[in-house]
Amino acid sequence: MVTMLIMSLAMPFFLTPVMAQEATKAATEAAPKVEMAKDVYFKTEGPVSGNPVPELKAADYPSYNLPYPLSENRILIWSIAQQHLYFGSFVLAVPIFCMIIELVGLLTKDPVMAKKYDDLAHLLVKISLTAYSVTAILGGLLLFSFITLYPDFFKYISSLFRPVMHIYALLFLAESGTLYIYYYGWDRMAHGFAKWMHACLGVLLNVFGSVLMMLANSWASFMMSPAGVDEQGRFLGNIWNVLHNALWNPLNVHRIIGNMVFGGGIVAAYAAYKFLAAKNMEEKAYYDWMGYIAMFMAVGSLIPLPFAGYWLMREVYGFRQQMGITLMGGLLAWLFIIQAVLIGALFFSTNYYLFNGMERMRGAEKYQKYIKYILFLTTAAFIVWLTPHTLVMRPAELKAIGGQQHPIIGNFGVMSAKNGAVNTMIMTTIISFLLYQRSNKIITVKWEAWGNAALVAMFAVALVNNWWLAIYGYFIPANVRVGLSVPQVMGTLTTLFVGSAINIAMMKGSKLTGPIEWGKISVRSQYALFALAVSFTWLMALMGYIRSSVRLFWHVMEVFRDTSPWAFTHTIGFAANVMSMNVMAFWLFVLFVFWLGELTSKHAVAEARKEAARPVMAGGSE
Amino acid sequence: MWTEGYMPVQMLIHLTVMMAVYVGANYFLKKIGKGIPAFPQAILIWLGTYSYFKFAVAPPLPSTLLYTFMGLVTIVIFLFISSTEQGWTDFKRPILGTLMAVNPMYKGVRTFSFVVLPLLIGYGTYDFNVPKFDEPIDLRTVHPAPPASTTVRGQNFTLQTAQNPYRVEDNGEYMEPGHEKKYFKSNVFEPNAPKYLQYVKEGGSIFFQNCHFCHGDNLNGRGMFAFAFVPIPANFVDPGTLAQLQETFVFWRIAKGGPGLPTESAPWASAMPPWEEHLTTDEIWKVSMFEYWHTEFFPRTWE
Repeated sequence: MVTMLIMSLAMPFFLTPVMAQEATKAATEAAPKVEMAKDVYFKTEGPVSGNPVPELKAADYPSYNLPYPLSENRILIWSIAQQHLYFGSFVLAVPIFCMIIELVGLLTKDPVMAKKYDDLAHLLVKISLTAYSVTAILGGLLLFSFITLYPDFFKYISSLFRPVMHIYALLFLAESGTLYIYYYGWDRMAHGFAKWMHACLGVLLNVFGSVLMMLANSWASFMMSPAGVDEQGRFLGNIWNVLHNALWNPLNVHRIIGNMVFGGGIVAAYAAYKFLAAKNMEEKAYYDWMGYIAMFMAVGSLIPLPFAGYWLMREVYGFRQQMGITLMGGLLAWLFIIQAVLIGALFFSTNYYLFNGMERMRGAEKYQKYIKYILFLTTAAFIVWLTPHTLVMRPAELKAIGGQQHPIIGNFGVMSAKNGAVNTMIMTTIISFLLYQRSNKIITVKWEAWGNAALVAMFAVALVNNWWLAIYGYFIPANVRVGLSVPQVMGTLTTLFVGSAINIAMMKGSKLTGPIEWGKISVRSQYALFALAVSFTWLMALMGYIRSSVRLFWHVMEVFRDTSPWAFTHTIGFAANVMSMNVMAFWLFVLFVFWLGELTSKHAVAEARKEAARPVMAGGSE
Repeated sequence: MWTEGYMPVQMLIHLTVMMAVYVGANYFLKKIGKGIPAFPQAILIWLGTYSYFKFAVAPPLPSTLLYTFMGLVTIVIFLFISSTEQGWTDFKRPILGTLMAVNPMYKGVRTFSFVVLPLLIGYGTYDFNVPKFDEPIDLRTVHPAPPASTTVRGQNFTLQTAQNPYRVEDNGEYMEPGHEKKYFKSNVFEPNAPKYLQYVKEGGSIFFQNCHFCHGDNLNGRGMFAFAFVPIPANFVDPGTLAQLQETFVFWRIAKGGPGLPTESAPWASAMPPWEEHLTTDEIWKVSMFEYWHTEFFPRTWE
């Protein structure tokens, strides 16, 4: 059945070249020569198989007579697309978590813990079910908005992506079907082989979801970096070229990881809300545990996100210097500083949550003395991270400095310093996590001193290597400098994986100073989880706007000009207000979804809470 | 205190030393039984950091950045003191003591605070709202995005792909940026100097005939006319300028000068002439090459 489904989904792909060939053939019969044109990106020749982009006037953009700023079509599209993306990200991320948590439950030998994980996965999918419907509704709204507010643009895009759009719709159908079987079959497929089949359904669900997202990404990335068309925007008969444009894959990777961070953040916020509203210790213990798992998944995904973002930006610069500079050095550069602040907020929130989390473990006192060093390193790195290249100052200050570049902090404004800073912040977060892991344990392995020495040496080498490369980057050509990020990232990832492995090995057979007292975490820590989730939401709004507005006055970069009355770039303040409104609207929506989830899941939660009496740590490493 | 070329690293070292002093002093005072409570500790850390950023960093930090740094420091201090229950309780104690006036001293502090704080807030509100004649804060983009292409002396250049025709090896092939390192310390006045160096020399002559009055002998933006302008001309020795840019960007900037800047870069705040009116495209390419050679930076490339 699945094969048939996939075949039917893929058919338009196979048909398209044939259709193009037929079109070409027909054209050959009608005219002596097929018109060939050059692909704007791949520079290959192809038969002209579509119409050029339309030449539009301001009157071609029908708008509502609403008060400003709703009179701008793009504000409507912007807001609807943002809400659709928020919910889309959430419903794509939650199945990833469900898949992982269900698998962890399957592999956990302790039946009580296995059930606890299984129930959590079930609860999450239940929450996402309502969000799924909201995503579809918002998707429909977005589609109608495009058709009615940007009819000519949509006609052009759909003429190019016609087969992809059909596959998209069919995949949506397949995903919905799989989701319903996955959710409603949970209890029926609870044991033995059936349970493994159920877990496979989770994998299938994620495959459909990811492909779905990638197809939609191709529309956005095509608008930024068109391919498969000529200079007039005429389709050249190869849909793969249109799809496989310069920024498609970097965007795919960045969005998949970003969705996971975002989804984890939302679930963590849900758990924090429930923790604060809990009426007894049992509830607190359950939601404290849930918040920890969600935070763990969000932060686990956050660690590779800057590298994916770095790759995306590298490709943007590679595609057009002009776009790269507009983003990071020009018109939109200050939005990147806001991004830096929000990313810093993520790292600080995570560390703060872990510091507070240590409080629920007896014996953590011996590690709390390191908090000040971790915070110092993170702060020093953050100072470098947020210092802008373009300083905002008064003319008198500029005169006092003696030029646009400050001789001390001016050097922090470029990429080499930023790479060093972000890797440092990631490493300090890893250190916090390693300390958290061993907070309630007395290590008993004979090689404890050697193990600790290895950990300290590894972090010291990785940090010094990272800082040295950050400084060295100022003295070498830019293309080599870009490559330096590889050893920096390798150092960071080594501390993550090897550090965790050594830490876990050292904790084998360790004596417990007491169990993790779930529910005894401070209230302040729950606000850190909110800060984490809201920062993610804000970041998505911000970076989505930046990615889209970098096209400036183009619908499709350098191919299809935006001639609407709104083809100017908003001021930073106005854009920030719209983003914040979108963030607020989303959180109101989310509260509604959670409330709906509550109506149906009260019984399941009560059952799960009963099981939560036994405290554990993520990964069962108690 | 500050040595040119090492300043950014020096600042980070200063901060580390301050941290070490804080930890050492705290340890010593605790050891002799005179540990400082959390609340005054937090205030001391804040004041210490503020004093460093405000008075020790020279030239001074722009106020916007100073506020940003101090906002960050304030948040971090809060995170530090509230990261453990004990620290948070210690920190809150004098605040709660003051609010509840648990002893005569706290009562005095409370009375003082209740009189002074509203006055301070009132003054702050007044100060915020009163019309001022200060210069406005200026957000000027130093390196704006270049256009996709530019026309100089009737010739169109696509900035993404154009190459400096004089960046060549002796056999005439294009010299990829980075390969010129071998010529960095060479004598351009050698009679049999390689082609690349000959062009650099020609570029140098053009530079000293036209550009050095503002950009300076050392290309550091401190020429003899430099301080007649606000902002002063670009400092090419700074790693935040030439090294961050493709050579075509520099070509575009030289050719179009201040009047060719986009609005976000405040073209009215630049005295740079559009050199296309005085130099040929060949001369502009050569000047650009000389600037990179002299500063020992490489033009930005992506692959």
